Amino acid sequence: MAGEIHNIRQGRSGSYPSEGSPRRLAAILAADISGYSRLMAIDEEGTHARVKRHRRELIEPTVAEHHGRIVKNTGDGFLAIFDSPVEAVRCAIVIQQSMVGRNAALPREQWILYRIGVNLGDVIVEPDDVYGDGVNIAARLEGIANPGDLYISGGVYEQIKHKLVCGYQSLGDRQVKNITEPISVYRVLPDPDAVIKARPTRGLAVAVVLCVSLIASLFTAATVWYLFVWQPRQLVAPLQPSPAQTPNAAKSTSAASQTATPTKPEAGPSAGARTTPQVAVVPPASRSALQPVIEPEMVTLPGGKFEMGSNDDASERPIHQVNVKPFAIGKFPVTVRQWNQCVAANACAYRPTGKDDAPVSNVSWTDTQQFTEWLSRVTQKKYRLPSEAEWEYEARGSKQTKYWWGDQLQSGMANCNGCNEAYDATQPLMVGSFKPNPFGLYDMGGGVDQWVADCWHKNYQAAPADGSAWMDADCSAHVIRSGSWKNDPSYVRPASRDRYDTNVRYPTHGFRVAYSL
Amino acid sequence: MDIRRIAVLAVMVMLLPVAAHAQGTPAGKDAYLYFVWPRDGLKVKSPFWCRFGLRNMGVTHAGDDFPNSGHHHLLIDVNKPLEPNDPIPQDKNHFHFGAGQTEAHIELQPGKHTLQLVLGDAKHYPFKPPVVSEKITITVK
Repeated sequence: MAGEIHNIRQGRSGSYPSEGSPRRLAAILAADISGYSRLMAIDEEGTHARVKRHRRELIEPTVAEHHGRIVKNTGDGFLAIFDSPVEAVRCAIVIQQSMVGRNAALPREQWILYRIGVNLGDVIVEPDDVYGDGVNIAARLEGIANPGDLYISGGVYEQIKHKLVCGYQSLGDRQVKNITEPISVYRVLPDPDAVIKARPTRGLAVAVVLCVSLIASLFTAATVWYLFVWQPRQLVAPLQPSPAQTPNAAKSTSAASQTATPTKPEAGPSAGARTTPQVAVVPPASRSALQPVIEPEMVTLPGGKFEMGSNDDASERPIHQVNVKPFAIGKFPVTVRQWNQCVAANACAYRPTGKDDAPVSNVSWTDTQQFTEWLSRVTQKKYRLPSEAEWEYEARGSKQTKYWWGDQLQSGMANCNGCNEAYDATQPLMVGSFKPNPFGLYDMGGGVDQWVADCWHKNYQAAPADGSAWMDADCSAHVIRSGSWKNDPSYVRPASRDRYDTNVRYPTHGFRVAYSL
Repeated sequence: MDIRRIAVLAVMVMLLPVAAHAQGTPAGKDAYLYFVWPRDGLKVKSPFWCRFGLRNMGVTHAGDDFPNSGHHHLLIDVNKPLEPNDPIPQDKNHFHFGAGQTEAHIELQPGKHTLQLVLGDAKHYPFKPPVVSEKITITVK
């Protein structure tokens, strides 16, 4: 009865009106990958596969969405035309910001960074190419842009300056190759912090056009930092689980919980020294790295063999043995309080709502990568999402029953629609509201759906048996586990699995973190 | 918490974006959501390509707030009425196409199934009025 979806083709094909005259006014977007040859030299096949994937998943749908058309793909870039300069610049911003998320999980030398130039000009449009000065200027703008940056011409700036929520930094008039007149160049800054950062380093006349909402968000970010993080000498208490110890916890197995040190201020300047070329995720100097960080409370487990899967749903078959290596996993899902530290450090773009001790929700898989990357940086530990096998191993608590507490549904065990009386349709309960499982873990089932590292596979045919995350080339969807407070009890089963688009946020999706031992 | 912090907090709360909730995004005029394929009453082999049609509105990514656009949700064998003030549910009977997909490869058990499309706004809420397709019934061989 449950349907199964795979191999989804994305986006729309760009339909375009045929016109009488080939000449028309258009916004031209030119983009290329900085250091493409270097990337190809490091890993030819991998880079090629990633570039193709970005094109399919990100660039083509984004251009189509903004009513543009890709006229030409080059090996390391593309040329697109748009009717509207606003749409062209919006499209470029979406691409640049999405690339930040995609790069976040990778080591720096493997980052794919686009340089983008947008110009407005009267051009000659043919079905598979576009000609004219206007195109050349877009290409030159792209050529002088820094990796990860978006440069626009004065003509585009005049059209969009009052329409788009951005900062614009004037780089003055530039003489570019083979174009007689100098062209005025503006750098588009989607993030207000970047404007501040750009000012002293550039030493150029800066024209900053900031909308009220941007100022407000900067202010809010500063305030969040001030309220939640700037507590230099204050003891930062670990999260307190509310329920009393239960019989289950008391008779926990030899693999019982052993929590990691809850807080540790990180000193070393290296922690904050890493800079990123994309403005949106630059940590503000080393200041935030010196603050105490409320690390998630972790439970360490020795690992071992278990039977993964069940016969309750086609996606959970076949049942297969997996040998999980020792690792540590969050005792609770990541909370709003913990996430907000990452926001305050300017390393997480998503701003959550909800109480401090509520599990953070409405995060995409890509968002979680920003968090684990930031947490790893400030703690010098390799935080990551758990693999799907690790998650199920932990959720079962060494049981092969339908639920971790047995085969029958019991009230007061999990936060779901039909699990107990305390169901609130609008939001999840605070973390740790129910009994922990035999491994001492809370909320492994119900509450928020939890992202794991694995790409989605419709069943376990050919799944790895070593507990590692199952990745492959097309990762447009990732696995979610646990079911949410809005799902029925069948989703609370440790074997239950589902998936969701990697880059899309949904209100019931959260996560917990893990690291290998 | 000293008075300074309270003052700062108060100002922050005032500055919170007004558009925090997404309910009631107006639907496009004459928006029409339909199945290009399969047609109502059809017998199909599983898996099959299901194609979504939308007129007078645009398809965009979930999270993008462009006016007059949304993203598809496919409801399979769902009998509960749509809650206009809740996000469209996410489970094994509610498929989301937040990346802007306009078609999907669907695998279903043999037998009769109902399919229905619902367009969601940036935050997965139905539009006002809801943009939904006719609920079709297909038989999987």
